[in-house]
Amino acid sequence: MTKTTQQVEALFDAACQLVNPAARRTFLDEACAGDATLRARVEALLAAQSDADKFFREIAPFGSTPRPGTEPATADTAATDTRIPAEKTGPTEGPGSRIDRYKLLQKIGEGGCGMVYMAEQEKPVLRRVAFKIIKLGMDTKSVIARFEAERQALAMMDHPNIARVLDAGATETGRPYFVMELVRGVKITDYCDQNHLDTDERLDLFVQVCHAIQHAHQKGIIHRDIKPSNVLVTLHDGVPVPKVIDFGIAKAIEGKLTEQTFFTAYEQIIGTPAYMSPEQAEMSGLDIDTRTDIYSLGVLLYELLTGRTPFDAKMLLQSGLDEMRRTLREKEPQRPSTMLTTLQRTELTATAVQRHAEPPKLITLLRGDLDWIVMKCLDKDRRRRYETSNGLAMDVQRYLNNEPVIARPPSRLYRFQKLVRRNKIVFASGAAVATALLIGLGTATWLFFMERAARREAVAAEELQYLLRQDAERARANEAELRRQAEIREKITLADVRVNQNAYEEANNLLNGYAPTQPSLEGARVFRAVGEWQALQGRWPEAANRFGVLIQINKFDGWDMASLDFLRLGPALLEMGDVQGYEHFRQAAIARFASTPYPVAAERVVKISLLRPADPNTISALTPLAELAAKSFANVAPGNTNAETVFQAAWGSLSLALMEYRQGNYAKAEDWCRHCLAYPGDNPPRVAAARVILAMACRQLGQRQEATRQLAQARENIKTKFGDELDPGSAEHGFWFDWVFARILLREATSLMDTAPAVSKPSASMSGD
Amino acid sequence: MPDEITSEITQMLQAMKHGGQTAEDLLPLVYGELRRLAATHMAQAAPGQTLQATALVHEAWLRMVGAGDRTWENRVHFFSAAARAMRHILIGNARRKSRLKHGGGQLRVDIDELNLAAATPDDKILLMDEALERLEAEDPEKERIVILKFFGGLTNQEVARILGVTERTIERQWAFAKAWLFENIRSQT
Repeated sequence: MTKTTQQVEALFDAACQLVNPAARRTFLDEACAGDATLRARVEALLAAQSDADKFFREIAPFGSTPRPGTEPATADTAATDTRIPAEKTGPTEGPGSRIDRYKLLQKIGEGGCGMVYMAEQEKPVLRRVAFKIIKLGMDTKSVIARFEAERQALAMMDHPNIARVLDAGATETGRPYFVMELVRGVKITDYCDQNHLDTDERLDLFVQVCHAIQHAHQKGIIHRDIKPSNVLVTLHDGVPVPKVIDFGIAKAIEGKLTEQTFFTAYEQIIGTPAYMSPEQAEMSGLDIDTRTDIYSLGVLLYELLTGRTPFDAKMLLQSGLDEMRRTLREKEPQRPSTMLTTLQRTELTATAVQRHAEPPKLITLLRGDLDWIVMKCLDKDRRRRYETSNGLAMDVQRYLNNEPVIARPPSRLYRFQKLVRRNKIVFASGAAVATALLIGLGTATWLFFMERAARREAVAAEELQYLLRQDAERARANEAELRRQAEIREKITLADVRVNQNAYEEANNLLNGYAPTQPSLEGARVFRAVGEWQALQGRWPEAANRFGVLIQINKFDGWDMASLDFLRLGPALLEMGDVQGYEHFRQAAIARFASTPYPVAAERVVKISLLRPADPNTISALTPLAELAAKSFANVAPGNTNAETVFQAAWGSLSLALMEYRQGNYAKAEDWCRHCLAYPGDNPPRVAAARVILAMACRQLGQRQEATRQLAQARENIKTKFGDELDPGSAEHGFWFDWVFARILLREATSLMDTAPAVSKPSASMSGD
Repeated sequence: MPDEITSEITQMLQAMKHGGQTAEDLLPLVYGELRRLAATHMAQAAPGQTLQATALVHEAWLRMVGAGDRTWENRVHFFSAAARAMRHILIGNARRKSRLKHGGGQLRVDIDELNLAAATPDDKILLMDEALERLEAEDPEKERIVILKFFGGLTNQEVARILGVTERTIERQWAFAKAWLFENIRSQT
């Protein structure tokens, strides 16, 4: 088979998976980029599909409808890899039936998903259990295989607010069943409304639910289907206890869900789309993690507080699949308090009465902290949600204790970014779809070759087992990874609390052995704080370690904070003597900010990358950044009345002085230093650094006296500063790392004074260290 | 088909190769399988559109055994041979009928004169057969899948097991092959 044919086949297969014509088009646009012949070929084949099916049905010597039970009729069209045939036989299980070691007693519920019976388990112990039979005739074997893959993890869950899943199997009619701890309770929302629980009482229950979810997350289990009907409240000695049920079931039965089955099956299988996270709505299947549950918890909290879900379930379903996805992905829900103000008077009164409050008071109660807590859970970008369920619980607890909460109204910048995002979404979502598809395509092609290779040696009888084993292994590996991530997020949340209490040592200890790689605001805050704490005590290797993690995860902080983080790490590396680490560091800094449009960020990168002499490649990589800085700062007069401008120009001049010095342009370096020193403002480390560079430039130019004079002043200032305990400092008067920066240059200058010849050639500066 | 039967078939085939067994010893086993296969498919086929399953199986079997080629390596080989035999019979059958209809004489249908929409099922089978030859030239693996599925009447699952690949692979390749064949036929007519 030629390469093109393989390509055509891979594209055809990938496109078949896309039922949505627009998605197909976008995909083909991307994948065929410019190759019109290829595209025409694939499109011709796609177009031929339905006629081809008809053609083959017509001429098939055996008739084309396969035997029941082996292949559903739809399996002959490639776009269908889903197995949810209509039910062939009516339910035959009922009270009195015996299934494996269970005897069904009475029906206790009928959900979308199936029937729930109370059943009696006879062996190994006699007990009553809840027995759930999945209604749809779906691929029972794979449902059970998926369940088996997670069974070990499920068995490890042991929490008073979690109903355990005990067993799974298949009934004689081939339907999957799940056996769970029997919970006699009512939906949490119903319980709260019937008992007129006020907001605080509702929050108390909610916090317990969060703790249950946290427990599961720590075991690597994601619920995926948190909604009121899966959180039941029972009374223990008159005290309400919420119990989360159905763990592991959503994952086991949702595997085969695709676009085609969505409307017929989704509601029955998964339940209400109102609780579905944006990433679940994507149905990529790959991308679900613990923060999906955080989203659903947010919806639950929303409903507990307002009696409504952020998006109306009926409207979501009626709007059509694409529109529903768009809503979940892009539309900002109303804040809970705003939602209440839009209600009809009578509705509002009813909602308030159920919450034991007067309407206006209820609105005021929600406005502010509770609004923000809910909205933080519901963020479209899961990285902005609470990192962990415990983090959410703690914030609710803080609200209950009248402490300030972590969730905050978004800043103006944040809202602006949102606006940009909303307007870019058409483009961005197109790009995202295309990327996801290309990855999928890569996988498809890869699998295609793998399967080909495997075919030569595969022993057919082992094939099925092998696949199941692989599935299980993949699931286990995935589980371990989820567990690890959940653990990291948990540590970060705990460390954040310690940092807020200024308990840096404890925070630091919590982070030992953890090096997150996923960007997160909370994570960056913690690693920054702990790194600074180490740095201020001169523990440079530890500080460098924390800052090293920091620059990996500070992507949400914006250029200003992020570029300052590089100013933190660079000096720490040199103070611990890690010259090689510094080399890597400065390449990373240049790479990260190479195309920054901000002169201040450019100036910072130039400065921090030249703490040591640099080779010509590094210099030329820095040149565009230096030019950007020079353009902005060259013409700022010392008498300029804008303090901010003057401040930036002073720092910019220092960076440019260093840039010239490193290139051997000593006269220009001297010029920039004098510029820098001419600006007003009380920033001692900047002044000290400027004097040091000036001293080195003068020395290279043969002005020994001036060099000695400047260096002596700088040395005095720096010595005095480091005589005391270092403090964090401030932007205005200089941060600790600005001082360390100056001190590192001072060392270079000192050794230059001792060793350099009286008049040196420009090239000597390259090896002047 | 159940695993024990297929592995028994493989054993028999091996024994036959070494001269210990004859095709006739294999007959009860394989025949039962083929018969069952055909019967199940027949139950769902539209009346008049298919050959008699029994007749087909008999004919195929005779053809396979009669050809003297009894050195089937394993069941892959065996089922491929069976499917190819069925193909031969079906095509021969269609050609005969088509010749009668088109006034006889020609060995092949003249595809230039055929309008796909107006073609009889027999003509279509012949067109398919020709397209299949072109597919074989381009991608012999897919041709084999088509033969097993279309002429052999095997399910995806069965073909997957025989070829030792996943069901999904067969599903995918079958979908592609069908579109490819149809497109090929359409572009020729």
